Amino acid sequence: MRTSPVRNGIQTGTIFGIIMVMMFLIGFTVIGAELIGKILGNPSISGMPDLIYFVIFMILVGVWCGVSAAKRPLYGPDSVKDAVLAGLSAGAICGLCAAVTGFIFGSVAANHIDVRAYLVSVSPESISMFTFNQNPTLGALALFGVMTLSSFLSALVAVEVRTSQKIRTMIENTSGSISETVHSQRISDLLNNKYARYGFYLIVAIALIILPRTWGGYWNYVFGTVGIYIILGLGLNIITGWAGQLVIGYVAFFAIGAYTFALLTAPVPHNLLWNFWIALALGIVVAGISGLLIGLPILNLRGDYLAIVTLGFSEIIRILLKSDLLTTFTGGPRGVHDVGGPTLFGSSFNTDVDFMYIIIIAVLVVSFLAYRLQNSHTGKAWVAINLDETVARATGINAFVSKLLALALSAAIAGLAGALFASRNQFTGPDDHQLMVAINVICLVIVGGIGNIPGIFLGAFALKGLPEILREIENYRMLVFGILLIVMMRLRPEGFLPAKRPVLEKFTADQRSSTDPASHPGNLETNTPPGKGK
Amino acid sequence: MLLSIENLQVYYGAIHALQGIHFSVEKGEIVALIGANGAGKSTTLNTISGILRPREGKISFDGQEIQQTPPQDIVRKGIIQVPEGRKIFGRMAVWENLEMGAYTQKDRAVIKRDVESVFDRFPRLRERRNQLSGTLSGGEQQMLAIARGLMAHPTLLLLDEPSMGLSPLLVEQIFDIIQDINEQGTSILLVEQNAQMALAIADRAYVLETGKIVMQGTGDDLLEDKSVIEAYLGGH
Repeated sequence: MRTSPVRNGIQTGTIFGIIMVMMFLIGFTVIGAELIGKILGNPSISGMPDLIYFVIFMILVGVWCGVSAAKRPLYGPDSVKDAVLAGLSAGAICGLCAAVTGFIFGSVAANHIDVRAYLVSVSPESISMFTFNQNPTLGALALFGVMTLSSFLSALVAVEVRTSQKIRTMIENTSGSISETVHSQRISDLLNNKYARYGFYLIVAIALIILPRTWGGYWNYVFGTVGIYIILGLGLNIITGWAGQLVIGYVAFFAIGAYTFALLTAPVPHNLLWNFWIALALGIVVAGISGLLIGLPILNLRGDYLAIVTLGFSEIIRILLKSDLLTTFTGGPRGVHDVGGPTLFGSSFNTDVDFMYIIIIAVLVVSFLAYRLQNSHTGKAWVAINLDETVARATGINAFVSKLLALALSAAIAGLAGALFASRNQFTGPDDHQLMVAINVICLVIVGGIGNIPGIFLGAFALKGLPEILREIENYRMLVFGILLIVMMRLRPEGFLPAKRPVLEKFTADQRSSTDPASHPGNLETNTPPGKGK
Repeated sequence: MLLSIENLQVYYGAIHALQGIHFSVEKGEIVALIGANGAGKSTTLNTISGILRPREGKISFDGQEIQQTPPQDIVRKGIIQVPEGRKIFGRMAVWENLEMGAYTQKDRAVIKRDVESVFDRFPRLRERRNQLSGTLSGGEQQMLAIARGLMAHPTLLLLDEPSMGLSPLLVEQIFDIIQDINEQGTSILLVEQNAQMALAIADRAYVLETGKIVMQGTGDDLLEDKSVIEAYLGGH
């Protein structure tokens, strides 16, 4: 049995229609238009983006709707007709939703009623844009027309692209030649070539040295933040990615590192004015010890206790830091000002460029540490505990000590990030240590690819770098995170760059030499993906 | 006496899972522990390997009391458990699983040699050494679980239901392997629901029922015992 194309289309259209209406109600239609304007090189300086960008935005939604509606029925002689029919009905339904919404809000706005009392984001300007600056009836009709037409045409094109032999062979040829190039012997030789790799490292190193000097303070600020989040991500990855123990209140250790550093170097409230490096080391140590102390009573329990306890701990820390009671000791709600900057051989080393170097070095050191840990005996033990704690214990792993070590290391790395953060901003306060920081870190680890070091870099760039660049969507960060996480779980449940188990190296080399090669065809099988082995 | 259990009492909260059992394993023996679901067989093994703590009783291994020893030290003493249900590290490759089995061994060269000798015993695993172990067939997974246990050079191997969920042919293979391991000097404590097979290879056997040992004897004796036949072998 196949479902009828119209029904398919109506389903898809309803989904897109609802999304459309929701986007309008939270004001995302305006943001979308603004983004498109920005991408096309015409940012709106103030107020509303041009109408044309909104039209483009709506057409894009329509195209997406049409393409996804036309996706399903792709067999049988009627498939082209079916697909186009599905696209048309999807567009019609989506357009209908938009039109009804546009008509209602257009009429409301025409009667000079301000709905912002109920729906904060629905300003008269956004309503008027939603109805293409027309009167309600005309605007609704236009909305309906635009959605239906774009969906219909895109379905047509999508089917055409998919069924046309010519285009298909073209795509196959291109992707084939691309993958051939990527997988070709020459490239893989190049990747494995020692000198080529050193050359690559050299280029990266030069870029890392030159870029902070040339790209200016703003970018140093953005990428400094990214760097700090990379450090946080690498730290959280140890306990959550490898050892498999969810830590929600990771920000607590970040706060402890930041405050330890800040209180030791700031003139107020204690006037200790310690040296940067000693305070940094102490920030790391104190955060690590606090991780140890938190872990001691709970890590021999299984389950999500650690998540809950650290969540509580981070809130306690934040509230304590904010309380008036401790103002004389921690600076209270106003935080700690004039936190000390780095010095090098007695002279100040505290420009934004200098600080960028320090962050880069810290990222490199932590990545190196993480890389070494990953392949170590301890790292293996963490993964084993993550996979099956009982069996891990039965193979002789001291699960409690392993987990404790992981947590302490994670906490210490968070302490490093916190100290750097406080020093760079020359300030730290309770509001720097909201739970949102920890949630950001969890998100970036998951999105990037849990358990994978390059994935964490990617995640940090995607989640901390992009929002800085695309400031418009800042208010929708939670929404975007939510969508991103759902989409990730659906499409790439292991993250953009999933962790690869280091499978294909260990025993192949000495296998060839040590035993009779004829006796086991395994050498050939090593490159076969699982499941095709037989 | 290699392993002796005296008056072992284990509780899960208020549930009295093991109600004072006594038994022993001599050097070089295969001892089977048979019984129905919930009789306390796995509990016994988990208590011996230190994952569960007894409330009362004594476990001595090689003359030392080990009931308070943590699991990682028990592994170092030479008691290795192959857990129930083919619990391998599914997202690790076959060879990585074996490496984990040798966790207590720090010398890489020794590990490599041991992996080779385990591969000699299980040629099938050698063919699949780079495969993710979760993608192995059931029989191969069970072999891997046993092979991982062997990596630690056990004096006493605790096998928890090695025949679980395997076809009769594979069960026979697994039991051949168990006998083979035993002949090379490893003592074996075998927990099984498949009483027929277990009793056939066991030197001695104990029947466990709701936390108590209700019967004991040589494997052959129990195979012929009427009540055992009725309860566990499906006879009438």
